[in-house]
Amino acid sequence: MTVETQSLPAGSLARPSFSSDLRALWAVAYREWLYVVRYPTWALSLLVWPVIFPLLYLLTARALSGADGSGLAQFQANTGVGDYVGYIVVGTTIWMWQNVVLWNVGFSLRGEQMRGTLESNWLMPTRRFTYLLGSSIPHLLTMMLFLAISAFEFAVLFGVRFEGSLWLAMLVVLVSIPSVYGLGFAFASLVITAREANAFVFLVRGLVMIFCGITYPVNLLPAWMQPIAAFLPQTYIIRAMRSAALSTAGLEAIVPDLQILLVFGLAWLVLGYGMFQWMERRARKSGAIGQY
Amino acid sequence: MENWAIEAKDLVKKFPQRAPSNGNGAQTKKAPARWWPFRKREPKPLFTAVDGVSLQIERGEIFGLLGPNGAGKSTTIRMLCTLLEPTSGTAIINGFDITRQATQVRQSLGTLLAGERSIYWKLSGRENLEYFATLYHIPPAIAKKRVEELIERMELKERANELVEKYSTGMRQRIAISKALLARPPILLLDEPTLGLDPQAARNLRELILDLQKEGHTILLTTHYMEEADQLSDRIGIIDQGKIIALDTPEGLKRRIEQREIVRLEVAGWYEKMGEQVRQLPGIEDLTVRKVEGDDLWEVSVQSLNLRQSLPALVGLVNHNGSHLVNMNIQKPSLEDVFIHLTGKALRD
Ligand SMILES: Nc1ncnc2c1ncn2[C@@H]1O[C@H](COP(=O)(O)OP(=O)(O)OP(=O)(O)O)[C@@H](O)[C@H]1O
Ligand SMILES: [Mg+2]
Repeated sequence: MTVETQSLPAGSLARPSFSSDLRALWAVAYREWLYVVRYPTWALSLLVWPVIFPLLYLLTARALSGADGSGLAQFQANTGVGDYVGYIVVGTTIWMWQNVVLWNVGFSLRGEQMRGTLESNWLMPTRRFTYLLGSSIPHLLTMMLFLAISAFEFAVLFGVRFEGSLWLAMLVVLVSIPSVYGLGFAFASLVITAREANAFVFLVRGLVMIFCGITYPVNLLPAWMQPIAAFLPQTYIIRAMRSAALSTAGLEAIVPDLQILLVFGLAWLVLGYGMFQWMERRARKSGAIGQY
Repeated sequence: MENWAIEAKDLVKKFPQRAPSNGNGAQTKKAPARWWPFRKREPKPLFTAVDGVSLQIERGEIFGLLGPNGAGKSTTIRMLCTLLEPTSGTAIINGFDITRQATQVRQSLGTLLAGERSIYWKLSGRENLEYFATLYHIPPAIAKKRVEELIERMELKERANELVEKYSTGMRQRIAISKALLARPPILLLDEPTLGLDPQAARNLRELILDLQKEGHTILLTTHYMEEADQLSDRIGIIDQGKIIALDTPEGLKRRIEQREIVRLEVAGWYEKMGEQVRQLPGIEDLTVRKVEGDDLWEVSVQSLNLRQSLPALVGLVNHNGSHLVNMNIQKPSLEDVFIHLTGKALRD
């Protein structure tokens, strides 16, 4: 909602325009970026978690398949993939991506609410969704870094051979972004108004963990659970990423999944935006923006 | 129609009743953790924080909203600056309606809320101002000049590139005020601007506020220090329990209790019942009692219509039953006494 200049108060230095909107978006992103760099605690976890988290599953898998790997034939029959390490790390990495986005995007607003700066931003004549969008851009960059570091560590430490195509893998990431972040926006809105919303992180996390087949093919799920899996975008992200990064099946193999992901992405972005608007209205009634 | 800077019409804000807080908004009782983030719907009783506030503030005026903790000062400011939607009533700021023209209202206002907590501590003072200037849609070249101008004016030049977390409270407050001034808004809303400042910093800030008025800003400020309201304001609204209970110039307010004389006593060994006895003395109008912390002493403020007549009896009464008078002085009425007269209680306790 940009105002025309003639309705501005006399003497005001503000000159709202389309480019000033963009500059505001950039300013929010840059400010968040400064916070990311000035609280560098996340850097260590960026290096450590990609390796630690899948280990649990990898060791379980090794125990179950026998020291000589004789159980692997069954795995290959179930999944069509021989490299169970690659199979598992793709699943866990996508799971962690969504998980970190929920925390980062969801709690970037919450953190400001607690520090007291959220109200300052809400007082500005800048559109409030610009603000949410801007603060998630730096986290998008750190997550790209996270995915790259993960892939590198898997190749070096676990000997995963990424036989697929880097370009296709990047395409999958790109197409997944709207769903992953749309969920983040929806979540950010919940966190501001519902006090015990971190319970919601655990809920989403658990759902993705069980239903989306992070370490096993979805068709191993009991029949009643499979339709639920079909409604979670992560199911498709994981499947497409496995194909793109680990197999040589090429673009055709993942096109259907990508199409579904685009639809999901659109739906989640719209839902995320809608929930944000709803939260804003609600908070204006309850005063939640200024509370901590 | 008169062209007011701020015109509030019967503003009301009701909140769902919440657990008694310890003053800073934190809840004393923690709700049990739940696996599902939504609460069950229970009919919530409503609590009226602002109860029909109407104000008309002239351009160029400093208007002080004076009231005790929880009176509804911040809630009023939050409604005026569009952070909160009124339950009923409305306000016109600089000719714009707070509910229908929120963006224009925000363009017209410079708001100081929550003081030092309103800026980013991990950014430098300069970075903070540049950031907010961009969110105000000030073009980069103008913004740069304006930021330097404000840094200079607030005497922050040497420290402008240091992180705000290294600043003193007074310096943070100056950055927060600069943030409000960035776009040269015609109207300033300052919520407890001197809260938490040391006396020197508070004095400087009050001078700054008077300077800003000379430069043509309209200023609405809230405070619970009556000296501050008295010194700064052209007019004062006294607010208590969400209602404006008096509205006048500082002199006008004091004139209301002109015929009264104020005597302040320091009494050792005060007891509850003594209060009732004092009230029954002839000529005694109002009385407030405050315990001096860490001492067996009470400060008692008595308003009398005829001190000559009531003083001997008063002194006799407090020098009785083991309690005794330690100190006593007679004063001219202050705004504090106006408040006591209006509400029967002290502004600060
Ligand atoms: N968002 C909210 N939800 C529920 N109650 C609220 C909310 N905001 C304020 N209140 C309550 O409304 C009342 C008025 O609060 P307000 O902050 O306006 O007081 P104040 O005059 O600014 O006092 P103080 O000197 O403490 O700042 C208080 O009792 C407060 O607890
Ligand atoms: Mg307040």
